[in-house]
Amino acid sequence: MTRRVMVMFAVLAMIALGLAFYALHLKRKVARDEQLAAQQQSLAPPGNGPPTPVTLYIASDSDGTLRRTQVNVTLPPERSERARAVLRVLFGQYLQSSSPHPIGAGGDVRDVYLLGDDTAVVDTNAAFADAHPSGVLAEELTVASIVVTLNANDTKIGRVKILVNGQERETLAGHADLRRFYEASNIGQVVKDLQ
Amino acid sequence: MSRLALAIVAGSALLFAALLARHGSVHAQSPDQNQLTVYSPRTSHSVPLLDVNGQPYAGLVELLEPLGSVDARADGKKYKLHFTPPGGRPLELQFTNGKDKGKVRGNGYKLPANFIVQNGRGYVPLSVTSEIISKLLATDTELHSAARRLFIGNIQVRYTLELHKDNPSRLLLGFSSPVNPTIATEPGRVRLTFRREPIVSTGPENAPYSDPLITGVSFSEHDGQAELDVTGKAPMMANFADGGRTIIITGAPAPAPVTQEAPAPLPPAPANTQNPAPQPRQPAAPRFLVLIDPAHGGSDIGAAITPSLPEKDVVLALARRVQHELANRGIAAGLLRNSDVAIALDQRATSANAARPALYIALHAANTGRGVHVFTALLPAANLSPQGFLPWDTAQAAFLDLSGSVAGSVAAELESRKLPNTTLLAPLRPMNNIAAPAIAVEIAPPAENVDEIASAAYQEQVAQSIAAGVAAVRGKLPQVRP
Repeated sequence: MTRRVMVMFAVLAMIALGLAFYALHLKRKVARDEQLAAQQQSLAPPGNGPPTPVTLYIASDSDGTLRRTQVNVTLPPERSERARAVLRVLFGQYLQSSSPHPIGAGGDVRDVYLLGDDTAVVDTNAAFADAHPSGVLAEELTVASIVVTLNANDTKIGRVKILVNGQERETLAGHADLRRFYEASNIGQVVKDLQ
Repeated sequence: MSRLALAIVAGSALLFAALLARHGSVHAQSPDQNQLTVYSPRTSHSVPLLDVNGQPYAGLVELLEPLGSVDARADGKKYKLHFTPPGGRPLELQFTNGKDKGKVRGNGYKLPANFIVQNGRGYVPLSVTSEIISKLLATDTELHSAARRLFIGNIQVRYTLELHKDNPSRLLLGFSSPVNPTIATEPGRVRLTFRREPIVSTGPENAPYSDPLITGVSFSEHDGQAELDVTGKAPMMANFADGGRTIIITGAPAPAPVTQEAPAPLPPAPANTQNPAPQPRQPAAPRFLVLIDPAHGGSDIGAAITPSLPEKDVVLALARRVQHELANRGIAAGLLRNSDVAIALDQRATSANAARPALYIALHAANTGRGVHVFTALLPAANLSPQGFLPWDTAQAAFLDLSGSVAGSVAAELESRKLPNTTLLAPLRPMNNIAAPAIAVEIAPPAENVDEIASAAYQEQVAQSIAAGVAAVRGKLPQVRP
C-alpha cells in the first residue's frame, strides 16, 4: 500500500469520524430542544415591592368546573404588564405536571395589549393553541379561565380577545371560537354554571 | 496532489452516499400502506409498519400493548419483552438486534429475517406476528399479510348478500355483528369501507347480478381495511337497518333539476350517502327536518380520543345512531357529512342554514371529563327576530330560547337514563352562525376506560336520549316551508 493511499484512507476515516460526531451532536441537540420545550414554563413575573394577592380561576377537566383561588405574587406596576404577569401565573398552574387542566407544553402569553380602558387583547404563543387539548368543554374552560381571571384582577377589563402568535385564529383547538371578543359579564354566566 | 484531493472528495461522496443508503433502508412506508390492523375480541388497533430492505416489520410493543401489559427493554443489542395477558402471568420474548434467532416463552424461535432494534424499540417481520401472538395468547390467529390485517380469535364478521328484485331493486347486506363503515357514492357505485370491523368474505369475492339496477358486488381487502363495492346502472344510496346489522343498497331518488354545490343542503329523508341526491321539489308543505352535524372529518380529526380513535369517527357513528333513533320516532333527519370528508366551519353553517332545518345538532366527543355535555351558544342577549335579517356572527342569538328548551329536554332524557350530564353555554363554532334552534352535544367516556366512548351500548343510550329529547319538544319547534 502506497503512502498516498494510506493518507487517503486516513483522511476518509477522519471525515467519517467527523460526520459521526456531527450526527450525534445533531441528535443530542434535537433531544435537548424537545426536552426544553416540554419543560418550558411561565416564570414568576418580575417586579419589586411586596407580593400582591392575585385571584385565579383554575379549571378542572375531571368535573368541568372553575375554582377560585388566590396566590401572592409580586406584580409590575403597569396595567398591561400586570395583566400579562397574572396570566403567566395562571398558565404556570396549568403547565405543572399535576395540573387538573393541562394545556400544551410551552404555552405562554407573549403580550397583553389594552385597548382603551376596558378591552384586553391577549397574544398567546403558537404552542398554547397548537398543543392545547381538543374538546368543547376543555377549550371553553381555558377561555373562561383567562377572561374571568383577567377581570377578577383588573375589574376595568370587561372585554377580552385572544390571539395566537399575533394573529387571529378561527378556534383554539377546533372548538372554542377565537374570532370574537369575549365579554366578561357574558363569561361570568358560564362561570356560574361551571362552579 | 490534485489526484489525491479528487480521490478524497470521491471517497467522501461515496461514504456519504453509503451512510444515506444505510439510513434510508429503514423508513416508514407510504401513509396508505404503513399500518397493520389488528382485530381482537378486546379492541381493534393499528400498528405502524417499518419497511426494512423491502420487508414490512411490526413493532412488538405496538402490537402487544393493546392486548395486555407490556414491559420491554433494549440493553445494547439484546431486547427483552415481558408480556402479561389479562389475568395471566408474564411471558418472555428475547431477541438480538441483527440476529434471526431468539426465544419465545423460553423456547428457541427462528425468525425468517433478522430482528431489528431501532430507537430502543424491537421490530419483527410482519409474517411472524400471527405466530408470535398465537404462542403468547394460546389462541388461533389469522394473518392476511398482503391486506395488512391480523385476526386474533374467531372474531371475523361475515356477510350475506340478498337481492330483492323490487322496484327499485334492493340489495340487503347482512352482517353477523353491527357494522359502521364509511360510505362513498358515485353514479352507479356505492363503496363501503370497513376500517375497524373484521369483515371477511366467506364466498366468492365477486357476485355478479343480472338486475336492472344492481349489477354486482365485489369484496376486497387492502391497507388494513376491507371494502365492499356495489356497482349498478343508476345512482344508488345506502341505508342502515337492524341496529347496524343490515345495510340496504337501493336506487337513489331522481335528482331535482337544480345544481347544488358540495356539501349540498340535505334533503329531509335519511341520506346515508356521501353526496346525497336532492329530493324532488315538493309543493311547499311544512316539514320538520333535524340536521345532524358530526364535527370534524378528513384531515381534521378533532380530539384524539385514543391514538387510534379520532373524534371524527366517534361522532360519525353517533350521528348515524341519532339519525336512526329520530327516524324510529317519525322525525326526518339528515347528516351534514356521512363520510370522512373535511368541511370548513363557515361551509357547515352555510349548508345548515340553506337546508332550513327545524333543529341543528352538532356532535362532538372528548376524552376529558365524564358523561355528556349539552351546549347552547354563548352569545350576548340580542333582540333579533328569527324572520329578519340576521348578522352572521350572532345569528344564533335569535333562537336561544328555543335552543335552550331543546337542551333542557335532551338533558332530562339523559338524566332519566342515568347518564351523567351537564347543560352549559359554549362559544362554539359554527353554532353561533346557525339561523335555527341549535344545540351541541359532546360525549366523554362513561367510565375510566376511554375506549368505552365508542361502545355501541353507550352510544345507543346517548342517541336515544337525544332523539327522545327532540321528540318531546317537537311541538315547540318551527315547521319550515321548503
